Amino acid sequence: MLLEYTSLITLIALTAILAFSFYAVLIAGQLSLAQLGLASLAAFTSSLVVPAEPLFGFIPPLAVGIVFGMSVGVIAAFILGLPVIRLRGVFLAIATLAFGEMVRIFLINQTWTNGAQGMGFPKLVGIEIAWIALVVVAYWFWRLSGSRMGRAFAAIREDELAATTMGIDVARYRMASFVIAGAVAGLYGVLLAYFSRFADPNEFSFTAAVDGLVTAVVGGVTLFVGPILGSVFLSVLPELQRVLGVNAGWIRPTISGVLLLVVILFLPGGLSGLIPRRKSAKRLITDPAVRPDLPPLASPGTELVSLQGLGKSYGGVHAVRSVDLTVNAGEILGLIGPNGAGKTTLVNMVTGLTPPSTGTGVVLGTSLTSGTKAHRLAQAGIARTFQQIKLFNRLSALENVMVGGYRITRDTMLRRLLFLPSARRFEREAVAMASAQLIRVGLGDKAATAAGDLSYGDQRRLEIARALASHPSLLVLDEPAAGMNHVEAGLLSELIRSLATDGIAVLVIEHNVRMMLATCDRIMVLNFGEVIAAGKPADIARDPNVLEAYLGSSGSDADADAASELAAADLAAVTAESPREHPDVPDGTPARGEAAGPGDQANPSTATEPEDNR
Amino acid sequence: MQLFLDGIFLGSIYALFAIGFTLVFGILDRLNLAHAAVFTAGALVGIEIVTRFGVPIWLLIPIVLIVGAVLGILIERIAFRPLAGRHDAHFAGLISSIAFGAILLSLLQALYGADTRRFPPGAFPRARLEILGATVSLLQVIILVISVTLMVVLTWLVAKSKLGRGMRTIAENPHAAAVLGLNVGRISSTTFALSSALGAVAGVLFTLNVNAASLGIGHAVELKALAVIVVGGMGSLPGALVGGLILGLAEVLAVNYIGSSWRDMVAFGLLFLILILRPQGLFGARKTREV
Repeated sequence: MLLEYTSLITLIALTAILAFSFYAVLIAGQLSLAQLGLASLAAFTSSLVVPAEPLFGFIPPLAVGIVFGMSVGVIAAFILGLPVIRLRGVFLAIATLAFGEMVRIFLINQTWTNGAQGMGFPKLVGIEIAWIALVVVAYWFWRLSGSRMGRAFAAIREDELAATTMGIDVARYRMASFVIAGAVAGLYGVLLAYFSRFADPNEFSFTAAVDGLVTAVVGGVTLFVGPILGSVFLSVLPELQRVLGVNAGWIRPTISGVLLLVVILFLPGGLSGLIPRRKSAKRLITDPAVRPDLPPLASPGTELVSLQGLGKSYGGVHAVRSVDLTVNAGEILGLIGPNGAGKTTLVNMVTGLTPPSTGTGVVLGTSLTSGTKAHRLAQAGIARTFQQIKLFNRLSALENVMVGGYRITRDTMLRRLLFLPSARRFEREAVAMASAQLIRVGLGDKAATAAGDLSYGDQRRLEIARALASHPSLLVLDEPAAGMNHVEAGLLSELIRSLATDGIAVLVIEHNVRMMLATCDRIMVLNFGEVIAAGKPADIARDPNVLEAYLGSSGSDADADAASELAAADLAAVTAESPREHPDVPDGTPARGEAAGPGDQANPSTATEPEDNR
Repeated sequence: MQLFLDGIFLGSIYALFAIGFTLVFGILDRLNLAHAAVFTAGALVGIEIVTRFGVPIWLLIPIVLIVGAVLGILIERIAFRPLAGRHDAHFAGLISSIAFGAILLSLLQALYGADTRRFPPGAFPRARLEILGATVSLLQVIILVISVTLMVVLTWLVAKSKLGRGMRTIAENPHAAAVLGLNVGRISSTTFALSSALGAVAGVLFTLNVNAASLGIGHAVELKALAVIVVGGMGSLPGALVGGLILGLAEVLAVNYIGSSWRDMVAFGLLFLILILRPQGLFGARKTREV
């Protein structure tokens, strides 16, 4: 009985290994169709080196083939990755598909492969070896999923730009996933050839690549068992129909097609989505003893950011002109100005996302040039939030913050493979660090909620927690209070002050002028890319240039004059009250606060627009 | 000259297939992998209609256009619309359209069997013409005229008509388009219908050119169409036209000068180079991300 199915069961294992090769790239948000090309390269070249007798008398020929095939997969994937890794989405898929087809045509035209007639291989792989290989591969991906590397892949898949600003070297990790996929593909190629005893380059075609992709997606990429489930489902389906007496011909592919359609339409996470996930990564660890030892921050007053004449122009448009700026440890610098004043461009330059066109700048010891990488600055100690929220929406709140801790945690992949106790300790430290930040921003009870399901204000707070998890020296907040009511804004203001007390330098952009005057140590006002005022909040509130920028030309129109005086009085009143520990503004002032600025039109409906560029 | 003309004839069919492919990608940002099955369906249904009813070519094309359009609407409704709003709509759409294509192919197999089919002899004029020293059949000229006409009509439709404005609005921002009161669902359906109508006609014309159709013809063309739309620029209609012609010419020249076994290397080598050197293609615009 079982013997009858030996071949089927072996093929399930091999197909699952192929699906794992797709899984390896899909978890990092990449779609590669080069897998079959890599597999066939590995299979055919291995025939050139696999000896007939054990090597040195004790190394089995298959072991030589596997090691060689996986090396070929790794090297070929790396070489292919060098030019194509910067492509995204469909473009990457098509480039890798072209590579696969080029390999196929190349191998068909070689004499040593016998071309399209195919090539014989000795039978070295049976059911046991296939399943042992699958178990090893699955084990590897199981241990990957809870490691820092696994989290980095997930972060890249969800939002590359946000991942970069956590200090993750996106290009390196994308290449890593590519190379891992190459190794698994090489393994698959060798095993398949030495199992089926025959291979012809045309078997490793586009259609086969699509089948592998379908297996991986049907199984789902949210859990490491996905590829196995997908392989079982798609391999057993035709066999089941045969046993049930369904006629060969058109009915079987029809039923398979319909079932595939049903799975993809109604099971968003694939088959593995049916398995409930373990909750361990969603539980807080509040024991302060578990938290990692962190290096001390720079002593208050140390200069962290120093910009001289920094400017950025797009074509003829000067987004930012010649800004001089310093930020010291432990101080809160506010950046205000009407919409389009260049505030976000300025902080993008400071965080390395936008290279400056003119001027010089040094941020945490790194100078800003066109070659400055955002992840390097993040590694140096910058963390930031975004005007348009960029969370990893499908990860839980706690997982988001743990990604933020990338900079201060250690990679645990190898330790987890060997089940070393230190792996568990480091992971607990990462959870403890993240838990502390979540609790600090008031999201302790929402740790297990997916970030995308949080309310708008909570998402803003979660972004701050994620930024704090990296233990930054400089924290950049881009409109953190947008969409918050005045009570929430008050709490936020308190939080920002407490961060500065800890010694963090905070650079904050915000349209809520009332909150800014109460929170910041210094304020800089930008308009049309130029600094029009800078100084203490009380002085800024009385500065005529600032009032004009916010209220338009004052002078001829009596109404404008009146409004300007009202706003000035309003601003002055706030600063007079208490610049420091009175952020929580009582009574119905928001209406007047809004009158202070035409730039106060933070628009939550467009800001929450999901932008899924994959 | 003979080579040049052969390349143009072949290229115009690639272009017609690719232009439908790229239309859906450019406007809805989805790659519809059922397009190849529609191509096959157009070919086989076309042969069936001619065999059974003996319709002339000028009647055959409109019928196949309608068949293709209906298939396109089905693809949109069944394989794409249920995925709207899902975070993995890209991957899922690839897979669901593959599944739809597989179902369509298996149904075609049920109707027409797995064997190669041909048009009945004498169904179409067999006249030959001499142009500048090269021999071409009247049929090839008709193929070229039909495909160029359809592509010009489509390009005009997208550029000038109200429907085309709606399509381009959706391409820019589907959410804003819905807010502006555009019926996004209906325009998406129409886009798929147009795309598939052209795909089906490309199938008929391809079969007319080589006079043989089997279940597998779609796959080879699909791969080449991917090359065409990348070379021309993803989503660009004129790009697909030029890309198709370039590929047709390159293939014919490659067969003649390098050998048929290396023919496909030309297409994929070209594709790979373009992706590395100019990912947006010859006519495509590069999209940038905002912070």
